[in-house]
Amino acid sequence: MPPIVEARDLTKVFRRPEKDPGLAGSLKHLVRRRFTDKVAVDHIDLSIEAGEAVAYVGPNGAGKSTTVKLLSGILVPTTGEVRIDGLHPQHDRTAIAHRIGVLFGQRTQLWWDLPVRESFAVLRDIYGLDAATYRKRLARFDEVLDLGEILPTLGRKLSLGQRMRADLAAAMLHGPRVVYLDEPTIGLDLQVKDKVREFFRTLRDEGTTVMLTSHDLADIEGFCRRLVIIDEGRIIFDGDLGAVKDQYARERILHVETEQPVPVEAVRLALPGAVITEGETPNQISVRFDRFVLTAGHAVTALAGLATLVDFRVDEPSIEDVIRRVYSGEILFDAKSA
Amino acid sequence: MGAYTAQARGVALGILEYRVNVLLGIVATLMQLVALLAVWQVLLADSPVQGFTWPQMQAYLLVTFACGALVSTNSDFRMAFRIQSGLVALDLVKPVDYQRSRFAEALGGLWLEVVLILIVVTSAAALLGGLTVPAGPALALFAISMLLVVPLKFLIVYVGTLACFWTQSYMGVQWARIAVMSLLSGALIPLAYLPGWLGTIAQWSPFAGLTSTPALIYIGRVGFGDGMMLVAVELGWVIVLWFGARLLWRAAVRQLTVNGG
Repeated sequence: MPPIVEARDLTKVFRRPEKDPGLAGSLKHLVRRRFTDKVAVDHIDLSIEAGEAVAYVGPNGAGKSTTVKLLSGILVPTTGEVRIDGLHPQHDRTAIAHRIGVLFGQRTQLWWDLPVRESFAVLRDIYGLDAATYRKRLARFDEVLDLGEILPTLGRKLSLGQRMRADLAAAMLHGPRVVYLDEPTIGLDLQVKDKVREFFRTLRDEGTTVMLTSHDLADIEGFCRRLVIIDEGRIIFDGDLGAVKDQYARERILHVETEQPVPVEAVRLALPGAVITEGETPNQISVRFDRFVLTAGHAVTALAGLATLVDFRVDEPSIEDVIRRVYSGEILFDAKSA
Repeated sequence: MGAYTAQARGVALGILEYRVNVLLGIVATLMQLVALLAVWQVLLADSPVQGFTWPQMQAYLLVTFACGALVSTNSDFRMAFRIQSGLVALDLVKPVDYQRSRFAEALGGLWLEVVLILIVVTSAAALLGGLTVPAGPALALFAISMLLVVPLKFLIVYVGTLACFWTQSYMGVQWARIAVMSLLSGALIPLAYLPGWLGTIAQWSPFAGLTSTPALIYIGRVGFGDGMMLVAVELGWVIVLWFGARLLWRAAVRQLTVNGG
């Protein structure tokens, strides 16, 4: 089956007016117009299979939102081309509109002056949904997003969390095959974030193709299997999220609590290659190790030989740590591979 | 329900949220009506000026008021805001035509405007001691002309608002549009009072259809034949602007999608 989203050699160059500061600069610009080109997206190749959940991450200004706008047909690429389900975004605008859903976390598509229920009804008619499908979808969204109290509320009176839940439902109401979620959890409290993330999982499980852009990497973990990292308009990594973690997040930390104080030197001797740190009390100890050198089980067994264990837990580094190291240049990917 | 009917219905429901705003807008138009009535009463007290009698002028001003109140409920502000804030991007991923959608919204606000117009006109007629209603064919022509005011005014406002894609600010555009509209439509003074050359330009411009054409037909300043001609011009502009606006929209979207919002 051909990929549902396909971008080839996608490039977007914006032309920005170049003005000297102040009124004089503005006046000068009127007479002699100078522009600078800014390359927002730089020769991107991307293909997404139907049903995939792709995380699209990168620092601010890396070109994430521009890519989303290109892939949804809002922007026309400077060079290169996009195909959605084999269709051309500008030529088949209406057909594509039925296939894609877009959520920009910072913007709302709800009517400010209408109750959410009425906004949904307008969308239902814009997309030509029949009453039964509409009711069924709304009921399903209600299960996860808890729309009950939101439906009769006016768009402008919603709290941020309510608005985002309503906007998510609005973006999905027509049952798009592909959704672009651009910062869907921005500014939300933890409880609402959890709901929203649960909603993502139901989407994925139903076979919707999801491209998720987020700064909150907890949105990604446990949801996307594929990770695409963009920086300065270029894709610097495209591959399996688990593989990245294996490669760049091998470190584990074992925290142990024992009945009697443990001699640190003895632990160091028993576990060469691991870094041992003393905890807050003499009964606590932390062991940092590479999971390809030492297993957690081996470490626990070794410690159990030295003292009676009361409790232990293993910390895994999050993908967040990995991506932070990528941004800071600590990890350099040689090629787009994993 | 069809996509466009649904959008019209959305505005028809939502507009009550702005009832105070709408009401204030109508009050402003009403104040202008009262002021103009007062001025013309003094000017026309003794004898007609350029063929306008006082009763004719009363009717002219009432039609002006009605035309001014139609399609006045600030849908242009909403559109300008969506363009400037970049929200228009979300309109681009909807399976509907942008221009028809905005027209549907303008139609959705119409019901409240018509209610207010009926209230003002009937009470004014009562205060002024009755209005002369034109005879059958002229009345029918007047009705057609009033109906055409709706798409015509929508299109002029719509085209003006599309300028936001280039200007990034709506205030200046709006003021310029209102100034040109009120002078060239005959809303400020009947076009017959303008200098000859300007009057001729105005008469053939799209603006005449906004006020002058229905008003002149109503008061019988033009006969049936000339009235038909004026309505034909009005209709012609509606058609030209409808398709012209599409070209402009295409250029505007290019501006947005090629140069970035």
